[in-house]
Amino acid sequence: MNLSESIRIALDSIRANLMRSVLTTLGIMIGITAVIAVVAVGQGGQQSILKEMEKFGSNLFQISVDWRRDELPTGNEFNMQDIEIIKANVPEVQYLLPGVSSYTQVKGGTKSKTAQVRGTEADYARLHPLEMAAGRFLTESDCQGRRKVAVVDEDLARELFPRDNAIGKRIVIDNQGLVICGLVKAESSLFGSGTKSVYIPTRVWLDIYPEDNISYLEGGGRTPGEVKTAMESSIKILEKRHRSEDLYEGYTMEQEMAAVNQVTGVMTLVIGIIAGLSLLVGGIGVMNIMLVSVTERTREIGLRMALGARRRNILTQFLIEAVVLCLLGGIIGMALGIGGAFLISALAKWPPLISWTTVLLAFTFSAAIGIIFGILPANKAANLDPIDALRRD
Amino acid sequence: MIKMEQINKIYRPQSNPVHALQDINLHIAAGDFAAIMGPSGSGKSTLMNILGCLDTPSSGQYWLGGVQISSMNSDDLAVIRNKKIGFVFQNFNLLPRMTALHNVELPMLYAGIDKEERNRRALDCISRVGMLERMHHRPSELSGGQCQRIAIARALVNTPDIILADEPTGNLDTATSLEIMNIFQSLHREGRTIVLVTHEPDIAAYARRVLHFRDGRLVDEVINPHPAGISDPVEGGETE
Repeated sequence: MNLSESIRIALDSIRANLMRSVLTTLGIMIGITAVIAVVAVGQGGQQSILKEMEKFGSNLFQISVDWRRDELPTGNEFNMQDIEIIKANVPEVQYLLPGVSSYTQVKGGTKSKTAQVRGTEADYARLHPLEMAAGRFLTESDCQGRRKVAVVDEDLARELFPRDNAIGKRIVIDNQGLVICGLVKAESSLFGSGTKSVYIPTRVWLDIYPEDNISYLEGGGRTPGEVKTAMESSIKILEKRHRSEDLYEGYTMEQEMAAVNQVTGVMTLVIGIIAGLSLLVGGIGVMNIMLVSVTERTREIGLRMALGARRRNILTQFLIEAVVLCLLGGIIGMALGIGGAFLISALAKWPPLISWTTVLLAFTFSAAIGIIFGILPANKAANLDPIDALRRD
Repeated sequence: MIKMEQINKIYRPQSNPVHALQDINLHIAAGDFAAIMGPSGSGKSTLMNILGCLDTPSSGQYWLGGVQISSMNSDDLAVIRNKKIGFVFQNFNLLPRMTALHNVELPMLYAGIDKEERNRRALDCISRVGMLERMHHRPSELSGGQCQRIAIARALVNTPDIILADEPTGNLDTATSLEIMNIFQSLHREGRTIVLVTHEPDIAAYARRVLHFRDGRLVDEVINPHPAGISDPVEGGETE
């Protein structure tokens, strides 16, 4: 008796009790649906977050004053000199930018809008994925020469100057007039979408807000492997220059990504375990109905034995029936799960990630449930005494 | 073909022993047609089970086609049942979800015979019992007599050493019973070995030998000089 014959017999008997088979396999179906959907949506979410973070560059690191120490700013914040010294002394640091920004009114033409005004350097465009729509970004000489120029994002420019080309137009930030020298394409991302940004030279920013300090530094390592050294060496220099210890904390994008991975990984695991439990319940349902099936078909088993079926033939027949039942549920569940993943992702606005590993795992898992929960009924069938079984009505 | 020596079968040997068979010595030659008769409780069912290798004796020796059966394990017994024995039951025991053809193919499935050969042999045996026209029907669409013909075809497909028929006409009316017995008679004339269990003398009359059982013992043996049905070959029989 070969495999295809056994599968044909299994399908026959499933078809003979179609309603019952469908209801039995419903548990497996729901379980697999849940597992596939949860894992696909979870992994899809994780991937989009990571991709988003990678956009910022995986060589990135940041240093800031440790606010958890619960101290007010003490003058230990950073200054432009710190940046120059670090850049000169730490070869692993490729870029180092001051982080200063504020939400404020930007006036232009007859209008006034709130935007995030960021003081930065020319290197910003190399550290971040900015796309110019028109004009140019801030240059070294803009920044060194404290030129009163600004780079504005397209959306803000369109709102301030709906009819005209914004380049060359004048805007006013806290009484300081600036000339627009470039437009950047608006960033749309998972996080700060809709934020309007203005970039001006750091020194100009510090001139506008003289009492403010640079609250964090943003840097880029020369290679991904050097990011950690770059950050740690920079912190050492800062501590020496500001005569303080444990005041600064730094983190790298890599650490951030690892943290995200861990959080989403744990979440996927937890929900996956819950979904797995429903598979377990489904498996018990299959076992139950297979036991009923064995009882109902005692005579058939007896007859097959009389005609020459060995115990292992009967065992495999019922095992295959349980596996086929679970696999049918598993395949339908997979289809529903993939559909569900796309649906949820469409609502959550990130692409689902259906990996072959997940599909293969679900397939193997439903087959395994069939074997695990089929073994008891199959064994019961195989151990029937042919004489008793034949006599049974 | 069949040789039994000092066969005993005791049920529940510890608590409340029942001596189902006592010291049975039996010899059935190849090509013989033997009927086993006896009232219920005479041990004929137990004997059939042991003859059919569904059960093993408590003691004694049983040879079937020169092979010692008494001490075989359940897998070996399954192979013997498959290859050397063709069963015909009182209630036909056809699988209801399969067509007649597939029912006939079933023993060959367990013998590992390939599809074409299965089909060829099944058609051969089905035509032998005159059921070719209805072979794609399910048992529920067939009459009792037709079911029993299919069951006989199934018993023949693995060309067994013996055909064991347990009250094969017990569920059939008289006319159909005669048709079925004529099939057995013609199989016997072809040289098949047949052992038949019945409690009806009319049916036993088709056999060459009649063995009478009582209380687990073989008490009498009668040779039939003129078995019934000889002059009434199956080829002329009609299906219902």
